[in-house]
Amino acid sequence: MQSRTASGAGVPAARMRAVLGWILAGLAPVYAWTVWKAPLDSVQGVMQKILYVHPPTAYGAYLGFVVTAVAGGLFLWRGREDHDRLAVAGAEVGTVFCTLMLITGPIWARGAWGPGNWWVWDARLTLTLLLWFVYLAYLLLRSFTEGDERAARFASIYGIVGIVLIPLNYWIIDLVGGRAQHPQNIERGSLGTGMGLPFLVGNLTLFFAFAYLIVLRWQTAMLESAAEEAALAPADRDPG
Amino acid sequence: MNVALALLWKDLLCEWRSRDRLVAMMVFSILVVVVFQFAWPSLPREQVETLAPGVLWVIYLFAALLGLGRTFTLELENDALTALALAPGTRGWIFVGKAAASFVLIGTVQALTALVFVLFFRLDWRGAALPLALVVVLADLAIVSVGTLFSAMSARSRFREVLLPILLIPTLIPVLAAAVRATTATLAGPGLTLPLAQPLVVMAGIYAILGFLLFDPVLDE
Repeated sequence: MQSRTASGAGVPAARMRAVLGWILAGLAPVYAWTVWKAPLDSVQGVMQKILYVHPPTAYGAYLGFVVTAVAGGLFLWRGREDHDRLAVAGAEVGTVFCTLMLITGPIWARGAWGPGNWWVWDARLTLTLLLWFVYLAYLLLRSFTEGDERAARFASIYGIVGIVLIPLNYWIIDLVGGRAQHPQNIERGSLGTGMGLPFLVGNLTLFFAFAYLIVLRWQTAMLESAAEEAALAPADRDPG
Repeated sequence: MNVALALLWKDLLCEWRSRDRLVAMMVFSILVVVVFQFAWPSLPREQVETLAPGVLWVIYLFAALLGLGRTFTLELENDALTALALAPGTRGWIFVGKAAASFVLIGTVQALTALVFVLFFRLDWRGAALPLALVVVLADLAIVSVGTLFSAMSARSRFREVLLPILLIPTLIPVLAAAVRATTATLAGPGLTLPLAQPLVVMAGIYAILGFLLFDPVLDE
């Protein structure tokens, strides 16, 4: 197994993280300011502002899955450790975004759909919940499997099956008649005056937050394995 | 291909001699049927008929999990799995042989469970028996494909009894949903139509291809 550790991928990762970090630091206050200043929705009031958080977390959740599956596929193909570390980063950050989506969604739903309506078995909600379970299964598989290389292989396989599952699930849930209660995609012009800018800034900021966290997690994992290798190295050289 | 046939024969012969998985799955399935009798005592006839397809598929799913969890247990003894990985030819055929053996076992248990189920709940499914069998065959192809793949992984992990259901259930929910939908519609009226069978065919195909292709790295050591 070829190994590529902090000395190889760590330096570009650190540089990338610094750039992303500065962009994020610049965007975050703008995001907070535009959301604060965004006009109140005439029907939903302040609760509508969840719109500036909820959809961007959804994109992060799905993007995390793509990163995990693609990096896992690359790991199976090329056998490079840094690809596997990237796959884990995708799953971990994706889980965080998916959890945030699952928390912010019901808060909005209860307000919009009335008391007691925290959850409906709508196609998109069901799909997201299943996605979350696949993420958890992926992470559990890694922690329950002994041996880094074996865990990486098994997890890569699961990540690939997981991404195939998304369109399959969407199709089946739609067929069996999940209630279409979730608002449809934001169509052009459907946002009220003054809501477009905070929505756009929200998407950009959370995208950079997603990318920053992925690179941070990736870099940390690479450093961890470099430290492990360094700790093992003297023992390898001197068996006595 | 020969590897697949040899493995299928070996697994079925071992099972015939020990009958471990078959008996365990069968007893478990009948017990769950009995549990449902106590979970819904004296329900009106129409409600039993409405709930029956879903309940039967839940029993099928859990019994299959039980059987699939034991797919590679024998191979772990004396590290036979390594010897299996060294078998000449594409490793996908090892997957096919193991999946085929599970398919026969699970199918047998399901047929017997269905018999007990209709007897206990006084249902008459004789008219729809053939299309129902086709639904079960299609769903089982999907279940054993992804089940064999994940079973080979979970067998060599800690907490394997817990890990397999956690890995498998999210991937089998679409299969379960499509199977319940097809079973309900088949029992209700015109029989098994193409739009009902289509999702099951697609999922069985996709899972079988994924299992065949991804089985190779599972056995890499």
